[in-house]
Amino acid sequence: MAFPAHEPTGRSFDAGDYRYKTFSAQSGKEVRILYGDKRTGMKLQLQYANIADTAADDFITHYDEMRGGFDVFTLPSEFRAGWNGNEDAIDAATGNDWRYESPPQITSVRPGTSSVTVNLIGVL
Amino acid sequence: MAKVYTGRDGVMQLAGTTLAKVVNFAVSSNLETLETTTLGDGVRSYSPGVTGYSGSATLLYYKDDDDNVNTSDLLSSLIKTGTDGVSSSDTVELTFRWIDGTDNNDIKLTAYITSANIGAATGDIVRAEIAFQGTGALATASIGS
Repeated sequence: MAFPAHEPTGRSFDAGDYRYKTFSAQSGKEVRILYGDKRTGMKLQLQYANIADTAADDFITHYDEMRGGFDVFTLPSEFRAGWNGNEDAIDAATGNDWRYESPPQITSVRPGTSSVTVNLIGVL
Repeated sequence: MAKVYTGRDGVMQLAGTTLAKVVNFAVSSNLETLETTTLGDGVRSYSPGVTGYSGSATLLYYKDDDDNVNTSDLLSSLIKTGTDGVSSSDTVELTFRWIDGTDNNDIKLTAYITSANIGAATGDIVRAEIAFQGTGALATASIGS
């Protein structure tokens, strides 16, 4: 099963960074060593407020199929709903895929309706 | 026959018995709306959430010829001795009625009395003001027929 193709009601993206280490001399001079040529560690939080329980359980099904945070996957275009910029800008950067950073959180709102929050992290 | 209702047509009942000396009452229903607007939408959309009922009433503090005080059962649901406070059995059955001859238009609900104010002032009649919060479904809602 692919990641559920629902349009989120909220989205937050952290662009991650390249892998490097910083060394500071007593003089204040800073030396940086770059360990990789790809940006990684981007974080994506998707919120799905007030959706049907039958849609909310899709995320648990997918979470199970990905064996929690173990397997990686790509996202359907629906996750970018409302974004008019470069499609790649808020997706996993080149060479990266998404995996679950934490289990999907489901909050029951009323009978038959729930809100879901999904936290993903981009990994090489 | 066409009719405009006035305060004279209003009746408030407690457990099926009409309360005397009611000055005013108001019943309010509300619907919690759940926003379902997604990031790609330009117009907000909603799903219905939970409905509820609440209201208020003002009664003159009145003792009839048999020494019965009209507000006793309402006020005693909230103003009471002891340390137990209000329990789940301290509900009241309220009916709000608008009368047109033999035609009754009713809202009947079970409610908790959530506030009760009573005082005394020089040169004024003593009034009891109550507010209530409905619990559960309406028993009757015939205001539209």
